[in-house]
Amino acid sequence: MLWAFMSLSRYIDRNPDHAVWESVLFTVSSMNGLFMPIVSAVVVSRICDMEHKGATWKLLVASNVKRGFLYAAKYICANSLLLSGILGQTVLMIVFGRMIDLSGVPPVEWFIRFMGGTLLTTLAVTALQQWISVAVKNQTFALCLGMVGGFFGMTAALFPEAVRQMLMWSYYTDLGPITYRYAESSGEYIVQPLTADFGIATAALMMTFLFYIAGSIHVARQEI
Amino acid sequence: MEMTHMSPSTIVETQNLSKTYGGVNRVNKVHLHVREGEIYGFLGPNGAGKTTTLKMLLGLVKPSEGMIQIFGENLNKHRSSILQRTGSLIESPSYYGHLTGLENMKVVQRLRNVPDRNVDEALRIVRLEHHKHKKVDHYSLGMKQRLGIAMALVSFPKLLILDEPTNGLDPAGIGEIRELIKSLPARYEMTVLLSSHLLSEVEQVATSIGIISEGNLLFQGSMASLREKSGTSILLKTKDNTKAERLLMDYGYRPVQNGDRLEFGDLQDTEVADINRLLVAHHIPIIRIEERKKSLEDIFLELTGKERSL
Repeated sequence: MLWAFMSLSRYIDRNPDHAVWESVLFTVSSMNGLFMPIVSAVVVSRICDMEHKGATWKLLVASNVKRGFLYAAKYICANSLLLSGILGQTVLMIVFGRMIDLSGVPPVEWFIRFMGGTLLTTLAVTALQQWISVAVKNQTFALCLGMVGGFFGMTAALFPEAVRQMLMWSYYTDLGPITYRYAESSGEYIVQPLTADFGIATAALMMTFLFYIAGSIHVARQEI
Repeated sequence: MEMTHMSPSTIVETQNLSKTYGGVNRVNKVHLHVREGEIYGFLGPNGAGKTTTLKMLLGLVKPSEGMIQIFGENLNKHRSSILQRTGSLIESPSYYGHLTGLENMKVVQRLRNVPDRNVDEALRIVRLEHHKHKKVDHYSLGMKQRLGIAMALVSFPKLLILDEPTNGLDPAGIGEIRELIKSLPARYEMTVLLSSHLLSEVEQVATSIGIISEGNLLFQGSMASLREKSGTSILLKTKDNTKAERLLMDYGYRPVQNGDRLEFGDLQDTEVADINRLLVAHHIPIIRIEERKKSLEDIFLELTGKERSL
């Protein structure tokens, strides 16, 4: 976040007309496309790997804990941590905006959309990450997937829309309230209409459901 | 299919329990029978199918075929109620290395919903009370094994399943754990099912024994019944074993060719003298008369057909 804010400060110094809340929200959403898949992979991997390392799956399962509950507990735990990160990001954005005297009051609706969009995307990403982290002991696979996700999240804007919509990591920017329209050497911030988010939000929810259920069933059937 | 002929004192019973991996039967139609208050030693060479069988009893591995009944209840239908009354240590001990011994015990305490005094008692039994604030990553292998046993004991279950419980322990530790296991049925009314590849270990602890090899249960019964198999036999070596065998058969004896010797069951001294006299009378020179007593190891090797390290 510090790196993002330093970069934003320099950008706004050079382009005073971009000293608006839109630039803060767009920059952080874009940055999330790169970092959130990696952060999600690391968080989920650490939470799941502690069971692999200590061979505690068999301890838990043999102690009358249902595998579905374990799977759900891990998922809730990982996403609670990531949600607190998203809330932290939002608070820091508001503090930063106030510090550099951005005009107007903080746009509450945009921040809510930012948090909702980031959370929805994170839910889908962590559902896939958890499936891999629990099913495959070697966490290199899960962490590599996180890095691949970060790559797609960062380069999403370069893909055709049809391809982009299949890559859930692109939803960090697609579900953000602000987008950027390039025009020749300059560009402008555009507020995305809320209706444009519905399709992507539905896709994110479907992916969450699909990956979570598939992962949970697969893990429940695995022998320990 | 529900098993209905289980005696009231039976704690574990399996029927046709099998597990197949890639077309190979790792456990083959095992009928296990563990009675209340027993220390059942599940003995077999490495890779015989002991751990797979125990994992099936705990629902960690799904049987390919067969039925498991514990406490008189079907494992598939009453898994939760059965596991509540079962403690286990399977393969290597399970632990969270970044937590202390006590914190690990608290995790299990919470899962088992038992009071603090159970944690203290279990740690005291395995002599870890002075190391409970140390991170488990810093424990020795033996201490981790003790912690695993304490975790299995924390709810003082009716059935305790221990897979190779003395792995990693030094001789003094092995002795302590052996004494602990022996005391459990009387002190806590537990039934213990323990596996081992060491005959000497099972022999010193178990009251009943099951011998498994290549997935097949070759013997099951009390230690006393296994020891009965270790009766003596008389071996006779003559200049002409074939002629001697024919002659002795005519006189009602039942010798069996065993290498270059004729083997008889447990004969009375007078019978040995009679055989000796008979052979001498028929001019068959006797080279050697031996008495051989089978050790449990001989019986084990005979059963498993393996002249290899246990």
